[in-house]
Amino acid sequence: MKRKRLIWGVVAVVALGALVGYDLLKTPGQSEQVEIVEEFELQPLIKLPAIGPFDLSVNKAVVYLWITAAVLIVFALLVRRSLRQEPPSRFRVLMELLYALAHDGIVGAVMKSGRATWFPYIAGAFFFVLTANLIGLIPLPFAHHHQLGFYTATANLYVTLALALCTFVFTHFAGLRQNRGRYFINWAPSSAPPVLKQLIWVIHSVSEVFRLVSLAVRLFANMLAGHAILAVFFAMALIFQSVLAALVLQGASVLIYMFEIFVAFIQAFIFAILSAVYIGGALDQEH
Amino acid sequence: MDAESAKLLAAGISMGVGSIGPALGLGMLISKALESIARQPEVAGEIRTNMFIGIGVTEAVALYAFVIALILIFVA
Repeated sequence: MKRKRLIWGVVAVVALGALVGYDLLKTPGQSEQVEIVEEFELQPLIKLPAIGPFDLSVNKAVVYLWITAAVLIVFALLVRRSLRQEPPSRFRVLMELLYALAHDGIVGAVMKSGRATWFPYIAGAFFFVLTANLIGLIPLPFAHHHQLGFYTATANLYVTLALALCTFVFTHFAGLRQNRGRYFINWAPSSAPPVLKQLIWVIHSVSEVFRLVSLAVRLFANMLAGHAILAVFFAMALIFQSVLAALVLQGASVLIYMFEIFVAFIQAFIFAILSAVYIGGALDQEH
Repeated sequence: MDAESAKLLAAGISMGVGSIGPALGLGMLISKALESIARQPEVAGEIRTNMFIGIGVTEAVALYAFVIALILIFVA
């Protein structure tokens, strides 16, 4: 019974996608030129004067970040209100599941000490990245002329680099606060011979920089690649100009869409868990 | 071969060759993780968490190739 319902649900979603694709095909004229690259270009929506080197204009990424922040604030208020309800509502149970995932699955599984201190940051990063990723999957009308409207704040290297910089700064802040002056000395094992020790220290400091880069680029490239594939599949129906191709490609793009929901979740999880690993590593140095 | 087509070719090759290593790595990683879950189902949660960390780190290698391909096409 349940399985039958699931199958019908998938069929309905595919049919809906095909219908949208067919509808898009029928609108004549502007459908020949679909530029996928333009999706990820940032043009100012509200022009503001620049202060020094900082351009304060509001563009798509800023609007998406605003929406993410607003959604998170609304959810926080709703969760606070639902805590008073007895018996617990479905919404509250779902939120408690997510909280338990952040508390036991991410922080509890990776960090040894400082769990209570660093849980707020790691859970905050997890929920922020998750919300930003998921909102990016909803087409919102901030696109220029006839674009598809897929964009996510995390498909922008500046946003992900800022998030990764937070983790980078907090890692070294946590390490310095816990281990004081020993923190940088502990980067190389004390048992190693002197020359090797210096070499290990240099390698470790290079790896610290590359942790920052890889944390930013991983999230950025994953979201960019996912949205580019989605845009290509949706645009291909327009390029081929045939109903049959639209039917097949819309079905395929619905499946990719489901996969992207999974990727959005996994990437938020990986971002949070790597932040926890880095901060935990700085707190409990082995050497 | 002019510069434009060389760029496109290089982007394609970098993506293709760059995916070989991560693909092998992901295959090994997941097969080993599944093996150990099958052997010791009681620590499945812990193994799964560590597997996802490994997936994140391994997958990043392919994504570096993707970024290089993008740079070759749109920036260089």
